[in-house]
Parts: sequence; C-alpha cells; structure tokens
Amino acid sequence: MRRSERVRLTVVLTVLATAAPTARVRLAAQAISQGFELERQGRVEQAAAMYESVLHGDAASLPALLGLERVLPPLGRLGELLPLVQRALLVDSGPQLRALAVRTLTALEESDSAAALVRRWAAGRPGDPAPWREWAIALEDHQRFDEARNALMEGRHALGTPTALAIEQGELEQRVGDWPAAALAWATAATDAQHLPNAVSQLEDAPVDQHDRVIHALTVPGASIAARRIAAELLLGWEQPDRGWEMLAATLDPPTPEAGLALRRFAEQATGSAAAVRRVRGLALARLADYLPAPLAARMRAEAARALLDAGDRTAARAELAKLAGDSAAPAEAKSLAQSALVDAALADGQLDSAASGLARLEADPRTSSEERQRLRYGLVAAWIRAGRLDRAEDALGPDSSVEALALHGWVQLYRGELKEATDAFRTAGPYAGDREAATARTTMLALLEQIDTDRNPELGAALLVLARRDSSGAVTALRRVGEHMGSGRPDVLLLAGRIAARLGGGSQEGTALDLFSEVVRSGGAGAAAPAAELEWARILLRQAKAADAVAHLEHLILTYPASAVVPEARRELERAKGSIPRS
Amino acid sequence: MRRRDFVGTIGRIGGSAVGMDLLGFHPTIRPSDNPSLLIPMDDAQSDHLKAYGVAYRVIQAGGKAEWLLNYRGGSFLLPDAQSIRRDAALNGVTVEAVDDGQVSAVRGEIAGTNADAVPLEKAPKVAVYVPPNAQPWDDAVTMALQYAGIPFEKLWDPEVLADGLRTYDWLHLHHEDFTGQYSKFFLIYTGQPWLSEMVRFNDAARRQLGLASVPDMKKAVARAIRAYVDRGGFLFAMCTATETIDLALAAHDVDIAASFADGTPMDPAADAKLDWSQTFAFTGAHVEPDPQVASFSDIDGHQVNAGPRRQPLGAFKLFNFSAKIDPVPTMLVQNHRDVIPDFYGLTTSFLRERLKPGVSVLADEEGAPWVKYIHGDLGKGTWTFFGGHDPEDPQHQIGDPPTDLSLHPHSPGYRLILNNVLFPAAKKRELKT
Repeated sequence: MRRSERVRLTVVLTVLATAAPTARVRLAAQAISQGFELERQGRVEQAAAMYESVLHGDAASLPALLGLERVLPPLGRLGELLPLVQRALLVDSGPQLRALAVRTLTALEESDSAAALVRRWAAGRPGDPAPWREWAIALEDHQRFDEARNALMEGRHALGTPTALAIEQGELEQRVGDWPAAALAWATAATDAQHLPNAVSQLEDAPVDQHDRVIHALTVPGASIAARRIAAELLLGWEQPDRGWEMLAATLDPPTPEAGLALRRFAEQATGSAAAVRRVRGLALARLADYLPAPLAARMRAEAARALLDAGDRTAARAELAKLAGDSAAPAEAKSLAQSALVDAALADGQLDSAASGLARLEADPRTSSEERQRLRYGLVAAWIRAGRLDRAEDALGPDSSVEALALHGWVQLYRGELKEATDAFRTAGPYAGDREAATARTTMLALLEQIDTDRNPELGAALLVLARRDSSGAVTALRRVGEHMGSGRPDVLLLAGRIAARLGGGSQEGTALDLFSEVVRSGGAGAAAPAAELEWARILLRQAKAADAVAHLEHLILTYPASAVVPEARRELERAKGSIPRS
Repeated sequence: MRRRDFVGTIGRIGGSAVGMDLLGFHPTIRPSDNPSLLIPMDDAQSDHLKAYGVAYRVIQAGGKAEWLLNYRGGSFLLPDAQSIRRDAALNGVTVEAVDDGQVSAVRGEIAGTNADAVPLEKAPKVAVYVPPNAQPWDDAVTMALQYAGIPFEKLWDPEVLADGLRTYDWLHLHHEDFTGQYSKFFLIYTGQPWLSEMVRFNDAARRQLGLASVPDMKKAVARAIRAYVDRGGFLFAMCTATETIDLALAAHDVDIAASFADGTPMDPAADAKLDWSQTFAFTGAHVEPDPQVASFSDIDGHQVNAGPRRQPLGAFKLFNFSAKIDPVPTMLVQNHRDVIPDFYGLTTSFLRERLKPGVSVLADEEGAPWVKYIHGDLGKGTWTFFGGHDPEDPQHQIGDPPTDLSLHPHSPGYRLILNNVLFPAAKKRELKT
C-alpha cells in the first residue's frame, strides 16, 4: 500500500472511532464508496483495508462484509472473512448476514458447519425456503452440484410441499446441462400458473439438440397440464407452431381461467410473420373469444379473423366472421371490421364481384373510415387488373388523381401495351404510392420500359399481363416470343423471361433460363442486361453445384463489366462460390 | 525465411520492383504499358483487407513488391501486369497505374517526409495454432487470412511438440488458454457440448503425448513456441493467448491451474515462484487465485468477465513511428485510421505496469493504465501481441454469428492483423536502431 493510502486509511479509522453516530454513518458510507472505487480499479488489497476499516465502527455493516466477500478471495484471504461474519451475526442475525455466513462456510469447504447453520436457520423460520436456497446456490457456485441437489431435496422435505424449491432445482439442472430434468423441475414449479412465463423463458434457451428431449420429458403420458402448456409454448418458440397449438388445444377442457390465461399467452407469443404462426395466433384468439364476455369476445373474434386471413386460412376466418355477423350484441366497429375482412377474403379468393358488392355496402356505412374504404377500393382495382379486366379497373379508378390511383393507372396502360403512358404514370406516381414492394415493382418496370424506344407494344403488354396473372410459365413463353422480335429492349425482356424461368426452377425451366441468359450475354452489348444475365447464369450454376463454372462466369462479369451495378453482388457471389463467406 | 532486418534504402534496390513480370501465375498475360501499379491504402481504397492478399500473391508468385510505409496509409507498389490487375479487379481492390515519372514523384515525397519504402521479397509460410474442434470463424486472424486469400495451415499441440513449427515463418495463436484451464468457461458454459468436446480433445492429446495433465501439456507447448521464436520465428497472438502463454512460461515449475484442470489446487504461493525471465512480454503479474473468477491474472486491464473489475471500452490510438529509423513498428501500425474503437476479449488489453522493459508499445488508450498492441524481440525472432477477440465485434459472445468481413472491407482493426502477416515478407537490412 502506498504511503498516501496508509495515511488516508488511518484517518478513516480514527474518524470512524471518534465521530458522532450520524457522522459515523455518513463516513462509513463514504468509505464503502471509496472501497468500491478501489475495487473497480482492481486495487483489491486497498479495497479490503477500506472495508475492514468500516467494520471497526459497525461490525455488522453488510456493504462492508459483502465487499470483503468480493475482494478477499482473489487475495487468498477468504479465511479472514469467517470470524468477521460470525462477529456480525452476534449483532444482527438477519437473513442477509446468515446467507453470507452460509456462502463463506461453503467457500471454505466447512460443509458440516454450513449444514448446521442452514438447519438452525430453517428451524427458526419454518416454511421459509431462503436457507435452503442460499445453501444450494452457494454449493452450485463451487461446482458442487450433487451436494446442491441434496440440499434442495432436504429443503423440500423440510418444507413439506412437493413444489417447494422447484425453481431452484430447475436452475440447477439447467446449469449442469441436464435439460430434461430441468424441464420436469420447471413443470413442477409451473403448477402455479404465475411461474409459467419463467419456465418457458428458461427452457427456451435449451440447445437445439436438446429440444426433442425437453418436449418428450414434458409430454410423457401422465404429464401435468402445466407441463404440456410449457411444451406448447416452447414448440411455438422453436418454430413448430402447429405442433404447439395441438399441444395447447388438448389442455383447454375444461375451460378454466388458467386455460384462458394460457391461451392469451400463446396468442401473445405468436408474433411472427410466418403464415403458420399467424394461423395459430388466429386459432388461439378465436378460442379465447369463447372465454370472454360479449363485447370483448366480438373484438377478439374480429382480430382472430384478421390473423387467419393474413395466414391464408380463409375457411377458418370465414367461420369467425360468420359468428360475428350473427352476433347481435357485437359492437358496431367489430361488425364493420368483419365486413372489411370479408371483402379482403373475397379479394384473396378471386371472388371480385362479391368483393365489389361488399365494398359497395361499406361505402354506405359511415362507421367505416374513408382510409379503409380507399384501401379496399385500390385492392379491388389491383385485383381487376390482375384478372385482366382492365376497363372495369379503369372505371373504378374514375377521376381519382392520387398517387396510388396514378400508379394503378400505369399498370392498366402497361398491360394495354401503351408503354409511354404507363411510363408517364409511373413517373408521376413516384416512389410514394403503395407499399415498398409496390414501389419496387414500378421501379423495376420503369427500368425495363426505359430500354424500349417505342411508345406502344400491345404484345409486350399482353405478355406482362400473363405474368401479372401469375402464370409464370406462360409468361416465360410469351415474353420470350415478344422479346425475340423486339429491337431496343430485346436483352432486357429476354433477361426478364430468363429470371422468371430461373425462379420457376426445375430442369426444363432452368434450361430455358440458361439459354436466355446465354443469349443476353452474347448479344446484350454494353447495356445493363448482359452483366445482370451473367450474374443470374452464375447463380443457377451455383445452385447446380457447378462452382467452378460459376466462378468463371463471375470472374468474366467482373472483368468485362467493371462499371456494372451488379459487380458488388457478383463479388459477393464469387466469395460464396469460393466458400469464403462464413455461414451464420 | 526468418526474421529479417531491413536492408538499404529504396535507392539501393532501385526500381527492381518496377516492371517485373509476374508471369509465374498467369504465363500468357502480356505486361501492360504502365511500369507500376500503386495500391493506395488511404480512403481511396475500396477493399483494404483484400489489398493485402493481392500484395501477398505477387510476392508468392516470385514478384517483387514494395510497401510504402506512411505513404497514403501504407500503400503497395507493384509491377504492372495484367495478372495483377485481374486479381485486383476480381477482389474489388483499387489500383492506380503509375508511370515512371509518377513513381519518381512518389519516391521524392517519401524521401522528404516520415515515410519509407520497404521491399517485400518472399511470402511467409503461415501457420495457425488452432484446436481441431474450433470453428474457423471463431478467430479473427483465420477470418482475415481467408478473406484476404492468404494461405495458411493449421497445427495444434501434437504437431507443435513434434517440432512441426520448424517449417513455418509466421505463427498465429488462436485464443488458447495456455494455463490449461479451458478459459474458465465452465463458470458460464457448464454442460455445453462444445465445452465437453474441448475438454475431450485436450485430454486425448495429453494422453497421446504422455503428459500428466492438460496444464502440463500447454506449458510444454508454450515452451516449444518460445523456442520457435528464439530460433527466428514470427509470433502473433491475440486475446487470451497473449496473457496465458506468458503465464504458462513463467509458471514452468509452479502449479497455477485450479483443481478442476489438473486435480490439484493451484500453489497458494504461486506469485512468488513465477519466473518472468522466460516470458515474452510481461513481468511481475499476480495470478488470479480464485477459480470462480473468470480472469487469469492482473495483466489484462479490462477484466471483461470479472464482475466489478470490468472496465468500459474506449478507443486506442496507434503510435506514429519514424519510418526510416523504426521500420518494424512502422510496418505494424500502417493504417488509414489512427484511432480505433476498442473491442473486448478474454484478454482485452495489457496493464502498462506489467510490461517488461524493452517492449514496444504500438497502440494504447490515452489516459488509461493499459496498452492494446505491443511488440518485441526474443532471440532471433519477434512477437506481437494484440488484445481483444474480434475488431469488428466489440462485445463478442460465444455463439454469436461469425463476422462477415465482406461487410467490413475497411476495418482498421483487421488491417493491424494483416500488417503482421506481411511484415515477415520484408527484405532484411541492418537495423538503424
């Protein structure tokens, strides 16, 4: 210790010994603070001296004793702590000091003394799990896991309840890596429903190779309802939502408040965007509606219907909507929401006339917001466009001059083959109409149209409409036929056809794609299509495990078109082809 | 090849690098019209890390290259050849064609400023000390070498103890715990399959080598590595390997491992028995006596897993050395950034007061009691220690996804690693200091 520090410590000791009680408390707090700062700086010896100085004035100072518990072990002086703790216990026998005593005795491997202290402590506080918990954790911290387990068992026996110390046992088993045993312990703890969230949160950290074992442990014949509900939530989190829902659904009879709580938790956890997750969320919400009083139930059912529609399960969604429609007690906004959802369902099913009728009813319903009506109207126009009913779409748009309407007008013109008008409409609509996906689709189409120097090409419009109607295979044929007879824009149209074929996959379409990309690379000239085609070509080769061929194409691309916008992507693919990118 | 002193000024080697043909690896390619290619390493460079790979491959193919220390971030001057342009283009490395007049202007600027030109003559043969079960992505050096396209071979305890280092010029130590305590991972990761596998691999190696314990095996390996450097090898270590190899060397006759590692508790008087004359970098350290504290000693300034001792991350600053007088440290700090955000490792930094006299500090954190990046000589060889685990993952945790260097092509921290790889390629000359 440096001279200045010795002097400071002497001053602290003197002042603590002679100061008035109030001042002593303040000075002790300052000394603890200084000790902590020394500890933070790694000067543990000086910190120990500072904490010891506090004990001269207050033998039971818990912060000082805890400080010594931290700093004496690295100095190899833990043995000095025990007499200090024993002296403190004469002044204060509160649980924190008793716990410190248990930890110290355990760390010093004085097992008999630790056990005796715990049993005395427990005898004085029957029903309190703290003595056993502290003892078990102290043993665990010294890797004495079997002894820790024995301590918990002894505590459970002493406490006389089968669920006592189950949480601690779960944590112990988890720490030693015995996940099935941890699952069983947590299932015991979760008999009290308030522990269900903790149980799930702890067990979901199980390594992937332990998942099946954990689920098996929780679902063996005779497993408790709590165990099976834990399994249900774990399966949901481990990307097996359908299996999770089946597991939960089997625990819902009779409909107890705990079952309602489990349903609500399951629905809240099902937050992913995958269709299967949305579906089980919808199913859980629909079931939860049965547990709720009328107005709340209607809202829950409407939400369930929306989730089921988002998941593509229109049958289940319609069932909920029908219940809503027949519910005279349902609030108006819930019914309105149901009507909107029915229009969405009709649109998704391609029942456009039915959707139009539903929309007409909503147009007359003042409870439906204008934004919602507009959203549905644009949805209906887009559906008509995709169905090839371009005149009907145009009529529905009417004189609307919003950017959304302009964007839709652009698609109508495009599919009619009026390329210039389509280009103008897309440019005027700009990037703000619709969502990001729609904006990207318009930008992509604009890039294609800009390569074509004719104002009108009905054949191209028709071919693109085939694509919009999701007949990808027909679109490849149509675009290829149109592209081969085009002048400007030929490589870009053939590139588009090739990309669609590549995405369709399969031997025949992949062959078509390779032919098209090869043709574009050969004849694409200096435009953007040739390097883009070569990149797509290399990607197909990579999918076919022809890495060497892919590397040759990627290198050719990078060296031949160094200014192309796809060069960074090509370099990335090149790294991937060479195996240089780590797999996450 | 072993450690090189540096020979002559660039005037003496004249323009030997200029105009060299590198037809060795692309024999049909015609040299281009410009005599030289400059790989700028300042902010004009589009991929700093891959630039090292381009320079490495030139010298690997038998060509000559020059490292222009302190000139535009430590640029490289290469002979112009289509094969090199191709390599650079494929890797996204920026090159600038320069004619004789421009080269003369560069040399004039170098002569008049704190800069120098160092010839690079032979690609070092690189080995990485790595356990067989290690994920390749779990080590910054391995990732840097792979990203830059610099070949390396892996070896581990049995190979090191069978004199396997003899054929290598440069050795990197994966973040090994040479105290044989498995980095004290059991405190947090008990029950994890990878930890069980690590223990199994080490124990199998120990049995194969006929040694009493894993800590004994690691000490023997540490001594073999020390002998390798003493004979002229280049050693580069990061993270835990820096601190623990010195602890293992100092503890040649002392038990500093906890009982879980070798069945016996550490010697309570270990501190007093440590022999610091055997170490590379450190002296006078106190070994952590508590097996429950995730720390090895008080060498590390940051103590990332040691509870209240943990220190926050700051930034470290590279020293500016005289290129003409101190070319070795100058090479090791070539960068386009002087101040670099710090990053944790099980050993993050080195307390200044634990450094041996004569250790060169290459980077430190201003106002902090620790340094980050150090270098020194031992016998005929040299060593460099760099604290921390991954320069682009400052809070790296086990199980984190690997760092994808294509997302960090300008990483100044990774540049320091690659400086070390090229450093042994420099042509020897008499040291001026």
